[in-house]
Formats: sequence, structure tokens, C-alpha cells
Amino acid sequence: MSRRSTRRSMTGRLITGRLAFGEGVAVLILAAVLSPALWLLQMSFRHNADIMSTRLTVALTLENYTALWTGQFPASFVNSLLASGISTAFSLVLGVPAAYALARWRFRGERHIALWILATRMAPPIAFTIPFFLAFTWAGLMDTVTGLAMIYVTFNLALVIWSMRGFFAAVPRSLEEAAWIDGCGVWGAFLRIALPLSAPGLAATGILCFILSWNDFFYALILTRTRAMTAPVAIVNFMQYAGWEWGKIAAAGVLVMLPVLVFTFFVRGYLVSGLMAGGVKE
Amino acid sequence: MLVLTLVTVGPALYLLITSLTPLTPVNPDSAFDFSDPLGNYQSIVTTDEFWRSVWVQIELSAVTVATQLAAGLGLALLLDRPSRFLEALRTGFLVPMVLPPIVVAIIWKILYTPGISPLHHLAAWLGLPFHSLITNASTAIWAIAVADTWEWFPFTMLMLLAALQMVPMEPQEAARIDGANAMQLFWHVRLPYIRPTLVVCVLFRLIDSIKAFPLIYVLTDGGPGGATEVTNYYAFAQTFSFSYWGYGSAVATLMVVGVFILSVVVNRLGGEAIDE
Repeated sequence: MSRRSTRRSMTGRLITGRLAFGEGVAVLILAAVLSPALWLLQMSFRHNADIMSTRLTVALTLENYTALWTGQFPASFVNSLLASGISTAFSLVLGVPAAYALARWRFRGERHIALWILATRMAPPIAFTIPFFLAFTWAGLMDTVTGLAMIYVTFNLALVIWSMRGFFAAVPRSLEEAAWIDGCGVWGAFLRIALPLSAPGLAATGILCFILSWNDFFYALILTRTRAMTAPVAIVNFMQYAGWEWGKIAAAGVLVMLPVLVFTFFVRGYLVSGLMAGGVKE
Repeated sequence: MLVLTLVTVGPALYLLITSLTPLTPVNPDSAFDFSDPLGNYQSIVTTDEFWRSVWVQIELSAVTVATQLAAGLGLALLLDRPSRFLEALRTGFLVPMVLPPIVVAIIWKILYTPGISPLHHLAAWLGLPFHSLITNASTAIWAIAVADTWEWFPFTMLMLLAALQMVPMEPQEAARIDGANAMQLFWHVRLPYIRPTLVVCVLFRLIDSIKAFPLIYVLTDGGPGGATEVTNYYAFAQTFSFSYWGYGSAVATLMVVGVFILSVVVNRLGGEAIDE
């Protein structure tokens, strides 16, 4: 009996014992945990007239999404993409060589770097926003995507250096030494050997930077007004000015969370270590 | 390296300097007015609202850290079995943590708004209708704590799950052979192994809870009547809503000092956790 049921898939195993019981409970808990997000999803497809309805079987519509498309929202979505994309690119360009140097040559201040990374991870954003706000007003960077991207670079850089250092350390040194003997310079060995070998790590790090910038609300709220407004701030504006159009709010929320969910799926393994960067030492 | 120091230390210094002035945007000259450098700090100490915000902060932090730890540990124990299926489920549990915080805030705004909330509908259908939790001064903080727990329990869960999987098998088997039940096994064998991670989790979540913003901004805006105005929110409101830049900077400086002390503790305990 038990042999046959293990050969059958999940449903069959549910009756085989404690392990299956644990799995069943886990599925139920997961369903409960995800239900608030799923509720948002189904709300985004409802007609405005059905938003208050308790029935689950209502006619679905894309009108919330098309309404978003014709309004200000696409511009803010593009701003979000730009700020996150630009900051990710810059953080990688600056941070990856630095991480390589840290992984290959010993430095005195190694412990300080760990502390610095911890500091950027820990410091309350309000402490940074006040000086940035004053400096941005003075430098004309208020309400610009450039200014916002600059801030994200400051925070992502720490993450890039930390996580890429780990990936480079995993690349065997002898490969680069062989390349040096064959006439590659330090840069050549870096570009042709170390970088391609840590490509998956690079992708994961880049995605993580993107997600963290994309998710930012606080800096964008304070340092942008209209021109450079990002998608998260735009949603909040719906709540304040648009007379509580819940359908539109839900649709905008779905659009903002979609890229994050897609990316998360790709980097789920690395995500854990990345989000904890600075918390645990290698 | 120099640049890195500059972009982190620079703002910190600027913040400190601003905190010594009565700066407001209305009067730009006030940026260089150092006639009463500790004036902001003196008024902070004597302001009831500041102390209330500290108290709200302590309340919220204590509750959310405790619930996140409990939920995270419970789930980590449940998921810590050799099963491909459970490994796949793990990704699902990541969702609340990776969602943009503003989306989390919207989700809970919907759940807490009578009229559109499925929770309110369900309660009414069961004959147990209740008033909005976020507009009631005595329940608002709990409503935020629930949403915050939902958002962040995956963090503790993942950390503890990783720690549980590092626990060596031998002592567990030895204990089992000696007749230890599941509870004794957890208490005497596994818990000592994961204790350092537990400490790191607590401190991480504690520090992060000081930064809680989008949830409060969207759900209650610090209200009703300041019931959910944590120190971070207080500094934000003083600075950006009331334009007391100098005063806001002083509050932020105090926060940095507090967080720095906590960070040093984390760094030390985190180091110990790995050394063992």
C-alpha cells in the first residue's frame, strides 16, 4: 500500500505519515500567507462597480489597466525603470572591479568594509534624506531621475562589493595565474576569466540591486515631486487625489510587484544570502 | 574607498551640523546659526511627543520582533525536513518579504478598510462586525504590527531554516536513541545550535523595525492622534511636514546613535555566531 502511494504523486503521499502531514500544513499556511496578495490581484481585474461586492464570481475586466495606461502612471513606471536600471548599472561598473580587488589582494581595512556595509544597511533612511534633500536642492538635483539613481548607487555599491567579493573568491586563483603567464594583464584576466566564471553571481547581484532600488519608497517620496516621480509614489498619489479608485490602485500595485516577483523567482537561491548581506560573515 | 567614505560619512556630518542649527527652509540664513547648538536637543528632551514616539517605537518593535521570531521559528521547524516539495514551497514564503513595501501597505490598507475588505465582509457575514482597526487609537498599532509581521516573518524563517540545516545529525540521532521526544530534542539539542542565529535575527529585525515607514505612512499616517507615530515617523513629520529641519535632524541624529550602538552589538554577536 505504502509503496503504491509513494509512486502516486502528492495527493497519494498525504496519507503516508508525518512528513506528508507537515507538507499539508505547510501548503495551507502558504495559501493563507499568500491570500492577501492574491486578493489584490483579483481586485485589479474587477469593474469599479464590483469592488465592494463580496462575490468572487464577478465579470473580469482590464479597464483598470487601460485607465492606468492613459494616465500619468506609465511615465512614473518609466522613471522607476530608469532610476533602478541606471543605478544598477553604475553600481556594477564601480563595484565589481572593487570587489575583485578585494577578493584577490589583501587590504588593511577589510573589517571596516564589513562595518561600512552594515552601516549603510542599518542607518535609518531619514538620516540620509535630510542632508541629501538640502544638497539636492542646492545642486539642482531635486526631482530628477539622476539624483535618485545617485542615492541608490550609494546603497547598492555596498551590496555589490560584498556579494561579488564572495563570488570572485570562489573562482580558483590558478586560472588567472595561467592567464597572466599567457600574456594577459590583470584586467585581461579579470575580464576573460574571473568575470565570465562568476556570471551567475553577477546576474543575481544585479537583479538584487534592481529590486532594492525598485522597492524604494522613502527616498523617492521625499526627493521627487512630479517629473521624476516613481511608480510607488504614484500609487500613493492615487490614494490621495484620485478619490479612492481601488481598482486602479490595485492594478498599479500589481504592475509594481510584477517585475519583483519575476526576478525573485530567478534569483531565489541568491536572494537569501543577498538580503542578509552584512549580517553573516563569510 | 575614499569616495565610499565620503558618500557615507559626508551626509552623517552634514546631518550632525544641521542638527546644531534651527534651520528651516523659510529662513535660509538659519543654516549657519550656531548660536544655540544644543537647542534642538534640549527641546527634544522636553517634548512629550518625542517621548511618546519612543514609547510607540518600543511597543511596536517589541511586539513585531517577538511575533516574527515565533512565526519564523515555527515555520522553519515545519519546513526543515528533507523534502523537495518543501524546498519548492520555500520560495512561496519569500513573497511578502520581496514585495515592494508600498504594495504591502496597499494590500493591508485594503484589508483594513471596511467596505472593500474581505475580512470585514467575512466578519459581518459571521455576525461579528467590527470597526476599522486603523482609525481606532487603541487598535491601530496592533493592526500595523500584524501587517509588519506578515511582511517580515520570512526573514526570520529563512535565517533560522538555514541555521537548522547546519545542525549536525549525530547529536540529534544520539538524543533520539536515548529516548528524547521531539520537544526535548528541540530544547536541548537544536536550540543551543541555533541560538546565535536567533540573536542575530532579533537584532536585525529590531534595527529594521526602527525604519518602518511605508506601512505607517499609508495605513495610519502616524495617527490616530499619534498612536502609531514611531520616532522615525516623528522625525519625518517634523522635518518634511512642519519644516523644522534642524529639529528633525537632531531627532535623526539620535536615531543614528541608537542604531549604531545596536549595529556594534550585531557585529560582535554576529561574529561570535560564525566563529563558533
